[in-house]
Amino acid sequence: MRTQVPDKSSDRFVIKFTIAVIMLLCVMAVSCCLGSSTTSLSDVIKYFTGRSSELANTTVTIIGRIRIPRTVTAALVGGALASVGCIMQGVFRNPMADPSVLGISSGAALGAAVAIVLGLNGVILFGAFTGAYIGAMIGAVVTWILVFTIATRNGHYDTSSTLLAGIAISSIMSALITVIMTLHLDDMERVYMWMLGTFSASTADKTKLLAVVVVLMMPVLIFIAPRIDILKLGKEAALTLGVNQKSTLAVTLGACSCLLAFCVANSGIIGFVGLIIPHIAAFFKVTKMRKRLILSFMTGAIFMVICDTVCKTVVAPGELAIGAVTSLIGAPYFLFLLMGSRLRSGKEKISS
Amino acid sequence: MNLEVNNISVSFGDHAVLSDVTHTFKEGKITMIIGPNGCGKTTLIRTLVSMYAKDGDLSYIPQDIYGDTGLNVRDIVSLGRYDSSKFFQGESEEDKKYIDDALSLMELQDKKDQMFDTLSGGEKQRCMAARAVCQDASWFIMDEPASNLDPVHSKHILNTARELVRKEGKSFIIVMHDVNLAAAYGDEFVLMKQGRVMNTADELTSSLLSEVFDTSFECVRTPSGKNVFYSD
Repeated sequence: MRTQVPDKSSDRFVIKFTIAVIMLLCVMAVSCCLGSSTTSLSDVIKYFTGRSSELANTTVTIIGRIRIPRTVTAALVGGALASVGCIMQGVFRNPMADPSVLGISSGAALGAAVAIVLGLNGVILFGAFTGAYIGAMIGAVVTWILVFTIATRNGHYDTSSTLLAGIAISSIMSALITVIMTLHLDDMERVYMWMLGTFSASTADKTKLLAVVVVLMMPVLIFIAPRIDILKLGKEAALTLGVNQKSTLAVTLGACSCLLAFCVANSGIIGFVGLIIPHIAAFFKVTKMRKRLILSFMTGAIFMVICDTVCKTVVAPGELAIGAVTSLIGAPYFLFLLMGSRLRSGKEKISS
Repeated sequence: MNLEVNNISVSFGDHAVLSDVTHTFKEGKITMIIGPNGCGKTTLIRTLVSMYAKDGDLSYIPQDIYGDTGLNVRDIVSLGRYDSSKFFQGESEEDKKYIDDALSLMELQDKKDQMFDTLSGGEKQRCMAARAVCQDASWFIMDEPASNLDPVHSKHILNTARELVRKEGKSFIIVMHDVNLAAAYGDEFVLMKQGRVMNTADELTSSLLSEVFDTSFECVRTPSGKNVFYSD
């Protein structure tokens, strides 16, 4: 008689996703309560259940005009950055790829900075879409193509030259931003924001614009994700499965650059989220790209809302830069990965 | 369906890798491509893949896959069941059966949850072979599928190919460096040198090998009646 063995390969994705959604809603609710002045959770719940008439006008303003846009922006940016990181690690077949490590965030920031000093930052659409977004988009696409071209050798990406090219390009971009800041001292403060990253300038209009971009681009990435797994088999093997490398990479590049540009133009360079979050998703035994991408989005959103809550509370009424908080958590993890890979490449297996 | 190449020439920059190659690969056979390093074997089969991949009836096993896949063994094998016309890539019962059969065929059942990137070279090759089996195409094009395999697994993978030809009428094109393995399992031999097809034959001989490798090969017959080639 045979007994039914539970299928070990099932990754219980639905359960993990549901838990992530509930957690995200919880941290967002808490984040709406906290800030330079504290609002009670019951007030936030009242606001959401349509009983805002019972609240004081200032409370309604704080929740509706400041807290909600900021929290939603943090969630969207965190989710988008983690998703882009997840996709990039797949495309470059490199566990250390991330938009900030590979210089693509800096490229977007440089594009935005150039647009600002050229005076192209006037509002163009929806009370929120400015020239800085277009500049950031161009910057992101150009940098991505640059890294790709340098890292590709004989049709495949070399892991170490990808990282080295990215780091070099990142420092060139940052240097150029510094030059621009020095030459245009009047705009320095605004440009400096991109170097650090913050959600404090979130407005309802900017949040809506970002939400539209995320809602449009995430399905594209979710659609293309399985093809990125297929591309890992190599160009020819992918072709036999009906996946064309060039068109897949072009769509991926477009969608990722768009997401990244809007995140960077909205809230600046926020490092390491794209690096660590996909690894956390992998830690939960979700390995295939599409599920990993979705879980990365949720985890990234949760992580960013928590980091932003830390930013706006620990030194209240002042603010910490969000980039500093995420990097403080992310950079040590990066070093940990680096040490791990050095051990693995050593002569002896440490454990077997 | 036979696979044909007609007057194919490929060059990288000034360097001609293939010049004027014409050959018809016959279905239902194991065709071994033999030749010295850099003679254009891989380029030839890659060209074949890019010509016939659209028909969707061939699978390709590269020599190696680059970088970190971040996928486990079962994930890699299941990629063989990918259907580009479907949005939802969930596995049907049929897919699961294909995946399980391919895993057990390549003796990877115990390793299915292990990360592909942590496997040894030989295990990776078996995993890639399992993925190709799972794809269930008529043609298998393999680039040195046994280069990292121990003698037992090399024979196992070629015996599997034999079985697939015999039972399911599959066809194989295999780039092979081990001339004795090639001789033992090939139905047809394509001998390449400096970007050209020098010779084709139904049986390997020491003179064919000597000509293509520019070194003298001898052949001895084992008591069991097999030809073994060696070069001094």
